[in-house]
Amino acid sequence: MTSFGGGTAGWLHREIVERRGWIDDAQFLSGAALGRMVPGSGGVNLTVQVGQRLRGVPGALVAVFGLLLGPFVIVVALATALTRINQSSALHAVFDGVAAAAIGLTFATGLKLVRFRAAAAGPLAVTFVTALCVGVLRWPMIPVVFCLAPVSIGLALVTRYGRNA
Amino acid sequence: MPDEIRRLLALAFVFAPLSLLSIGGGASLLAEIEHQSVTVNAWTTQREFADLFAISRAAPGPGTMLSTLIGWKVAGLAGALTATVALYLPSSLLVYGAARLWGRWRGSVWHTAVERGLAPIAAGLILAGGIAVLRVSPGGAAVWIAAIASTALILRWPGLHPLLLFMIGGALFGLAEATGMW
Repeated sequence: MTSFGGGTAGWLHREIVERRGWIDDAQFLSGAALGRMVPGSGGVNLTVQVGQRLRGVPGALVAVFGLLLGPFVIVVALATALTRINQSSALHAVFDGVAAAAIGLTFATGLKLVRFRAAAAGPLAVTFVTALCVGVLRWPMIPVVFCLAPVSIGLALVTRYGRNA
Repeated sequence: MPDEIRRLLALAFVFAPLSLLSIGGGASLLAEIEHQSVTVNAWTTQREFADLFAISRAAPGPGTMLSTLIGWKVAGLAGALTATVALYLPSSLLVYGAARLWGRWRGSVWHTAVERGLAPIAAGLILAGGIAVLRVSPGGAAVWIAAIASTALILRWPGLHPLLLFMIGGALFGLAEATGMW
């Protein structure tokens, strides 16, 4: 609930590993890695696994419910309040400013991923084509991902074999 | 009543498939959520979408609370609940199952290839999300400039707290509007 701006993993680590000792560091890291790799929010996925490890299906359910309840209430309350005051041009300007900063955060996240993960030409091209098709040309995301994913995974397989040979 | 149920079903049918495609986290869905709610389903206007995006980023919680807000806009509390469950349940079920297989897959050729192959697509989708929100943002050139400036700031100083940046951005734009600077 205090995970402003999406720093969920850091906060979860402090609460679950450092303060409560429910799982250890290695379990946390492996859970975090899996949570990032499969679809979904990394923080929610990690929470599912922690809940599962502690108490099985009910544990996972309670954990996710607990993680999302606070933000859910706050975000809906905030939106209700703001649309009620609403429609003053100054408020829209404030929203635009917040959105601009948030877009900057989004770009920075994408660019960091590019820098660390995709320094080679192939992956860079995949990133560029994805951003072009979905962001600029406005093609729907689902077919784009289904077309590019096999190409990109194949590329990763080939380069891996190339290096081993 | 059937009308409300139809709206809830529409929300579920849009967000549930996206749940399974949100590789690299919710930010990768931004472009598609924008496309679906503004263009395809006309759930929000561009102005409303930009506002909801700002609220979802400034509030605590995963960035994908944006879907909750769109659901709320479309069909009230039931809509907010439907959109949230639709977006998180499928991926949560998947990770629940995958957690059991994870140990077995670890270190295999396929596991590494899938991980390395999906990373550049996730990066591209996240960048596309930024572009998509920029395109619908009604704030004009100032928003583009501020977005590029804050990108540079975050890359230069990674420790910078996002909330601080949001507050600076909001305050600057609010002030500029109030004093009639543009």
